[in-house]
Amino acid sequence: MSSISVARPDLLRSARARRFWRHGGLELALVTLLALALWTAISASIARPDRYLPSPVSVLDSSRDLLWKGILPNYLGQTLWRLVTGSLIGIALGIPFGILVGLNRTVSEMCYPILNFFQSISGIALLPIVMIWWGTTEKTVFVVVLYTCFFPIAFNVLTGVRSTPRIYVNALRTLGASRLRIVRDVLLPGAMPSIATGARLSIGYAWRAVIAGEMLAGRRGIGWMIFSAQQVDRTAQVVLGMALIGVLWILLDRYVLRPIESDTIQRWGLVQR
Amino acid sequence: MYDGEFAAVVGPSGCGKTTLLNILAGLLPYRHGTVQVDGVPVKGPGSDRGVVFQEHAILPWRTVARNIGHGLELQGVPRQERRRRVREFVELVGLAGFEERYPHELSGGMKQRVALARTLCANPVIMLMDEPFAAVDAQTRITLQEELNRIAIATRKTILLVTHNVDEAAFLGDRCFVFTRRPGRLKATVTIHIPRDRRIWKEVVADPAFTARRDEILELVRAEVRVE
Repeated sequence: MSSISVARPDLLRSARARRFWRHGGLELALVTLLALALWTAISASIARPDRYLPSPVSVLDSSRDLLWKGILPNYLGQTLWRLVTGSLIGIALGIPFGILVGLNRTVSEMCYPILNFFQSISGIALLPIVMIWWGTTEKTVFVVVLYTCFFPIAFNVLTGVRSTPRIYVNALRTLGASRLRIVRDVLLPGAMPSIATGARLSIGYAWRAVIAGEMLAGRRGIGWMIFSAQQVDRTAQVVLGMALIGVLWILLDRYVLRPIESDTIQRWGLVQR
Repeated sequence: MYDGEFAAVVGPSGCGKTTLLNILAGLLPYRHGTVQVDGVPVKGPGSDRGVVFQEHAILPWRTVARNIGHGLELQGVPRQERRRRVREFVELVGLAGFEERYPHELSGGMKQRVALARTLCANPVIMLMDEPFAAVDAQTRITLQEELNRIAIATRKTILLVTHNVDEAAFLGDRCFVFTRRPGRLKATVTIHIPRDRRIWKEVVADPAFTARRDEILELVRAEVRVE
């Protein structure tokens, strides 16, 4: 299979294309076209579209300008960098925290409401207090993204650890496993599907937090671009930023997060349980 | 219990058979009396007492071979040695060819074989079994009972089996301990005098040495149920 695709790359490309169309690619393309048509129609029917809702074509036009100057790639990179660093560190802290708390029933019952409390305070609601502490700095954006990631993942890992069947733990104890080995061999893999789901959720929240953080406390980045464009009435740029947020998320979810999640769940054989 | 004995505990449901087994395994604390393995009192679970649970309890994210070798892995047995021992027990329970499969690809009976092999492979002093065949269908159960008997002969392991199935207890046990209904106490001990290697379902059902003992146990258990 691989030798064929190396010899004839066009075969590989067509195979990939076929897979894309089969996995809902056609529906995606159709609905995108429909949305663009509707958008164009609304834009054409209102007065002063450049001020209120520029058409897709003029939005694209404004992006060409930004692309030329290298501003857009720069901003995109900035935003993605903030997302990746903040969420990776948030997840890296949230997983062990969730496991540690999940080990003990009393501790987990104490922490449950606390985690739930903070999970309800979204990143944007946390922004003002963090801005009081650190002002409009890079640190502020980073902390808000990290915070947004930490609680959903910790919460999910905790639930995953708690819902791992006790019988697995007992089986390992009778095989003579230490507490540490039980964590490594039972609780951690048992929580794996929850970890994957939690990570996807966390990154989804973090994506919103990055944009919100950039609007209020950042310099450069997509969020900042949207916010500053609004202040000088460049509606096309505002709309461009919004569209980018949505498109990037769809790509990230479809090609990175979802495959990781479904792979874990499948490999664990948990689909049919 | 003496070395190499196969003991079966029977009694009406809810009489504390599983509780007894969990106490022996060290998973539950006990208030009175003592539990000793080779003269050493039991304090918590340990690898000297292997347990086969009612719901197989093998790990879904480990392959058959990795599940069976888990006990040896925990004991720090080197990989080469481990592989050899796993191979031996995979064959003993008739799972050759399924080493790299995951539990969700196996039938209920096969999962229970994995659980059995995992416990035996860790080489405990005594193997405790809690209704191990309760969750499989009748045909599979009969096959598994005969295989367990064969494995008990081959490994000469001391085994304690808890069951509510009188046939199963009489078929497998050298001695059957009949329990009263809740609160469960030992009511009677019935000894089955059939050589282990002659225990095949087709033969024992026609053997009065089996049927008489089985009926005796059945009466003892039924008397307990009837009192209610």
